[in-house]
Amino acid sequence: MLEKRIKLIIDSNLEDVQMVSNAINRLCTLGPLTDLEIFHIELAVVESVNNVIEHAYNNERGHEVEIIFTLYANRVTLDVCDMGMTMDDKLKNRIEKSPLEFDPTELNMLPERGLGLAIIHEVMDDVAYSSCHDKNTLTLTKRFIVHDTRR
Amino acid sequence: MDLLVDRLDASIASNFRNKLIEIIKDGNTLIVLNLTNVTFVDSSGLGSIVSCLKTLGAKGDLTLCCIDERIMSMFRLTRMDRVFKIFNTEGEAIKNISHLTRL
Repeated sequence: MLEKRIKLIIDSNLEDVQMVSNAINRLCTLGPLTDLEIFHIELAVVESVNNVIEHAYNNERGHEVEIIFTLYANRVTLDVCDMGMTMDDKLKNRIEKSPLEFDPTELNMLPERGLGLAIIHEVMDDVAYSSCHDKNTLTLTKRFIVHDTRR
Repeated sequence: MDLLVDRLDASIASNFRNKLIEIIKDGNTLIVLNLTNVTFVDSSGLGSIVSCLKTLGAKGDLTLCCIDERIMSMFRLTRMDRVFKIFNTEGEAIKNISHLTRL
């Protein structure tokens, strides 16, 4: 199967994220993914785009957020790209001390923020971040098994 | 309380949280949040519900009901299924929270 690719571009506005969310959900139906897997991919993309808007662009509108969806024979990848501030080590290191490791009985210690990256790592098979020529790219990969139905 | 939006996400999380905290500060400390209409929750939306639970503290309770299986998976992913009391129906949630008024 030849790869299929589409690029989506939205403004750095949280109200526009739903358009990407809905589009990614529909695009994922092109692959052999379950409803739950599709929901998780959609969630990971939303968290990634939210992070770009909130951290790379500091909630400032008027910047482009680019999402490239690519469907391969055995996986789907999503590149979330921005030209804003690079994800700092503080944010990257958050994942080393997972915010998901909390005591559910300690009400005051429950995490209210910072769960996005942890969720992305939980639901995707690979997560990679790179910065090159002022362009930051977070690449999310979900693999799937292809059942050959030909006899 | 029925949530009438279909998405509880970063675009409305802050407003949602502020409204709910206003309701709590008006003296409503036993809250059942019915998520029947909600088809998508992101971490900001979830954070806003957690924030309200923390605002209530020991003075009250916030229970959830009628959660779509995909959204329930989000609660499991974030381990929040261990934090909230979650019921299949609004009736069960109200029955549970009603016990607290008698304590």
